[in-house]
Amino acid sequence: MNVSIPNILDQIIASIPLFKPELALIIGFIVCIFMALFIERRWKNSTFIGCVVTLAFSLYYLIDQLSTTGTGFSGMWLVDPLSTYARLVIICSTLIIAIFLQQRHSKNNGDVYSILLAATLGMHVLSSTSNWLMAFIGIEMVSIASYILVGYFSQNKVQSEATMKYVLFGSVCAAVMLYGLSLVYGLTGNLDFQSAAHLQGLMDAPEAIVTLALLFVFTGIGFKLSFVPFHVWSPDVYQGAPTAITAFLSTIPKVGAIVLFARLYQSWSSTAFYFSELSTWFIIVVAVVTMLIGNLAALRQQDVKRMMAYSSIGHTGLLLMVVFAYQDAFSYLLFYVVAYVIMNLATFIFIDQIEQETGSTSLLSYAGLGKKMPLLFTAFTLVAVSLIGIPPTVGFVAKLLVFTSTFSIFQSSGDTGPLLLLIVGALTAVISLFFYFKIPLYAFLRNSDQPITDKKQVSVLLIIAYILTVLVILLGIFPNWLMEKVS
Amino acid sequence: MITLTHFLVVSACIFCIGLYAVLAKRNTIMILVGIELMINAAILNFVAFGKYDKINYGGQVFALFAIVLAAAAVAVGLAIILNVYRHFKTINPENIHELKD
Repeated sequence: MNVSIPNILDQIIASIPLFKPELALIIGFIVCIFMALFIERRWKNSTFIGCVVTLAFSLYYLIDQLSTTGTGFSGMWLVDPLSTYARLVIICSTLIIAIFLQQRHSKNNGDVYSILLAATLGMHVLSSTSNWLMAFIGIEMVSIASYILVGYFSQNKVQSEATMKYVLFGSVCAAVMLYGLSLVYGLTGNLDFQSAAHLQGLMDAPEAIVTLALLFVFTGIGFKLSFVPFHVWSPDVYQGAPTAITAFLSTIPKVGAIVLFARLYQSWSSTAFYFSELSTWFIIVVAVVTMLIGNLAALRQQDVKRMMAYSSIGHTGLLLMVVFAYQDAFSYLLFYVVAYVIMNLATFIFIDQIEQETGSTSLLSYAGLGKKMPLLFTAFTLVAVSLIGIPPTVGFVAKLLVFTSTFSIFQSSGDTGPLLLLIVGALTAVISLFFYFKIPLYAFLRNSDQPITDKKQVSVLLIIAYILTVLVILLGIFPNWLMEKVS
Repeated sequence: MITLTHFLVVSACIFCIGLYAVLAKRNTIMILVGIELMINAAILNFVAFGKYDKINYGGQVFALFAIVLAAAAVAVGLAIILNVYRHFKTINPENIHELKD
């Protein structure tokens, strides 16, 4: 392909409108670094304001993009409704995380915002590409930014150990994924996983090499999504990191990674060749094992953050089930993602609020708190109900949609795979009842000896959490509001 | 005559050495070195395969980006290991186990 340089330049300039939200993030990232260096000393919170303004600009350009579909930068950048809505979710939840950080870590926090913006940029890249090069850059950007975020506020042994484990595990997974990608590139000679040449190359390749390459590639994605067996880092890191960062880790990186995985699965599972069968069986087995291990391990946790880590592993299993069930309609995936993000953000804000008042994240310390903080624990219980999947909450609607669709796949094909998914999904929903209900059990039915004085302070963060709780109920009763938007 | 197979064999060997360094876990710095070896094995693969991709040079470009990203990850990793050393006075992963189930 002998394209002259002016032509290439024209093509790049023509693709810039598709890249505006990310350009805003890039500029904001650089500006935030300088603000943290020079302005933060004289004018407190200036970096936070810079970060919020950047996110607002990015949001504005994204809303502008809502109706556009297209590719840019010679097919490396892909804008479609799935990517735009996923990026909307990412931006909105990053905004909440930024406020969370500002409220809880007001001292010496200048650089955290620029790193948060870098992570957001990485997630944007992940959710709007079908090119392996971009996907790898996105995964590494999110990973490196998350390592720094986890370690940024570390003051004691536990936090620094969590960071170290995260870095080592993440880097090994990225290296293995890179090796797998090099094999895939060798087999296909093409880096775009949706292209015909790529699929043709995978069809012609010997089975053993394809198995090895695919499993290696899934390792990297599996680390970001934390499905079994790449989940071992998440309980330690979730427990060791500050709660604001845990809220970040448990929600936003998963949005980007699941969108990438959905695109990958959609293009790879559509043929009748060996690699399609392999990816289908891989997703079924991994989803089943992830749901089982996540929910069973959560049963015996005494620390709420650790319990939520296992619960989010369980939800990853369900997300994989959604990817399996809806290969053509992405709106259901988006619905589940939105529901998951809302529920998890609210939960972590509640956990953090209680940690602020009692200084502990242990379940035992929740004893008797329900009478002292009735509103907070009522809302917390509602979110827990939604996490289990009981009506009238958004978690119920999300699970109902997934189970219905998996059931119809089972009816039309009669395979054991979907049936297995259904049985395990229903079983783990029942198991999850036991550990989520520990929260209201301790809070309302147990009494504690220690007197705890309620400070009665209403913070911005709590108001956000209550709004999220109201959303959980409202979207549970009127799921159409969201479904009509995203489909 | 050096063929593609030679490159692949060498890179597979480097990858296995790196993986061994990671799994043996004597020292955190050695784990980082192992990770670096694994990444370099992949880069070698990319460049070797890139010879056959004359249209886009995807392999070479990927190798360049992978080098940059690996450098960034190692820089962050070393900073964090330094932080761990301040708290634990050791960087042997087997002696660092405050977090448990």
